[in-house]
This record gives sequence, structure tokens and C-alpha cells, in this order.
Amino acid sequence: MAVDLTERVQEISNAREVPESEILEQALERGVEDLWIELVLSRYLNDEIDREEAIELVGRDRVKRTEREAQAVESDVHWGLNA
Amino acid sequence: MIVAVADAGPIIHLDEIDALRHLSVVDILLIPQTVYEELEAGTIPPALADTEYDLLEAGEKCQERNADLDPGETAALTIADERNATLLTDDLDARNVAQNADIEVHGSIGIIVLAFSRNELSRSEAIEQMRSLQTETSLFVTEAVVEQGIELLEEEP
Repeated sequence: MAVDLTERVQEISNAREVPESEILEQALERGVEDLWIELVLSRYLNDEIDREEAIELVGRDRVKRTEREAQAVESDVHWGLNA
Repeated sequence: MIVAVADAGPIIHLDEIDALRHLSVVDILLIPQTVYEELEAGTIPPALADTEYDLLEAGEKCQERNADLDPGETAALTIADERNATLLTDDLDARNVAQNADIEVHGSIGIIVLAFSRNELSRSEAIEQMRSLQTETSLFVTEAVVEQGIELLEEEP
């Protein structure tokens, strides 16, 4: 399997039989989408937007998953500091 | 005294950032035989040899546990319940099952913070390792969640 980024683009392009330029365009779209989701979740956790707006922007499942993660991390930090 | 039972998650994730030694901050570390066999199916992290732990078989209650969890998580949960120990897992479903059974449960981030509070790590090293858990390991955790945890650590005098 390809390891290098350029090799991976070539391998995906060959496997899907689409031009490398199209693979790069899709990668950019997905990358921006991931960064957008991170931004929305960060704003939600920092109380800059409310829960309903966060759900509207990135979906209920992502918001609920993030809430579970946040509870786990907060619990871990408190335990680590006080155990 | 902290007695803790680890499933494969924290062992793998801490090893991925060369921080497996922090598992030694718990006073007694237990690893279920099933978890050890799961690790063996890949590669046992060499750094585990430098960590003191006891291998244990889970008892009969193991069969009654939640079917959504994998065998290693189930064995770790059972031993934690039997021994009144803390469960160490990074799996959110396993954490839920443990909390519903009144078993104390924490994960890799908790171990890093515990290493900090026991002077095994500086605050900046702990923060760096928390970020590395998110960026360099197979653990899935949202970046903003880790940053929120770091803020809590930074607030500590």
C-alpha cells in the first residue's frame, strides 16, 4: 500500500479510475468539512453557540458524541488531579 | 491506593506516544489475560516489560456482561467490579457500562494528568502529551474536547 501522500493520490486515482485532480478536489472538500466540524464543536464547547445551532450545523450524533467525550475528559482531568 | 485494571486502549494509545511508563503511576496495575492476548495478536508494546503488572483471568460474571463490548473490555470491566478497582479504558461505551455499574472509570488522559500530579511530568509535558494523544494516536477524540481538558489542567494552581 502507498505510504507517501503523492503515491496515495495516485493509488486512489487508479483504483477509482478518475483523474488525480478530481481526487485532490474531493480531498480538499473533505478536509475543509472536517475543519468546519471542528470549529463548530469548539464554538459549542466554548458556549459561543448553543446546542440547537451546533446540531443544525453538524448533526445531532456528532454533538452527542462530543458531549460524551467532553464528560470523559473532564472526569479524567479531575481524577488525575485529585486521586 | 489506586488499583486499576487496563483494557487494551490505554496501553496502545499511551505506547503510541511513548508514554506507557505512566501506567506505573497507579499503585497496582492489573491486566486481564484476555487483554494481553488481544495485544499479542498485534505486538506487545516492548515498553510494557518495564511496567509492573499482574495478569488475571476474569471470573464467571464475565459472561453476563454487555454484549456490545469486546472480550477485553468485558474482562477488564468484570475484574474492576470484582476487585473494586478503577477501570482504565478509552472506549466511551465501556465507560458508560462501567458508570452504570458504579465502577470508577478513566482513560489515557486521566493517566497523563495523574502522572503530572505525581510529579512524573511537568505541566507543559502533560499538555503536550494530551495533544499528542489526539493528533498522533489511533484514539478518536475531538480536538476541541482535548483543548477543554488542557484548559482545566492550566487552571490548576
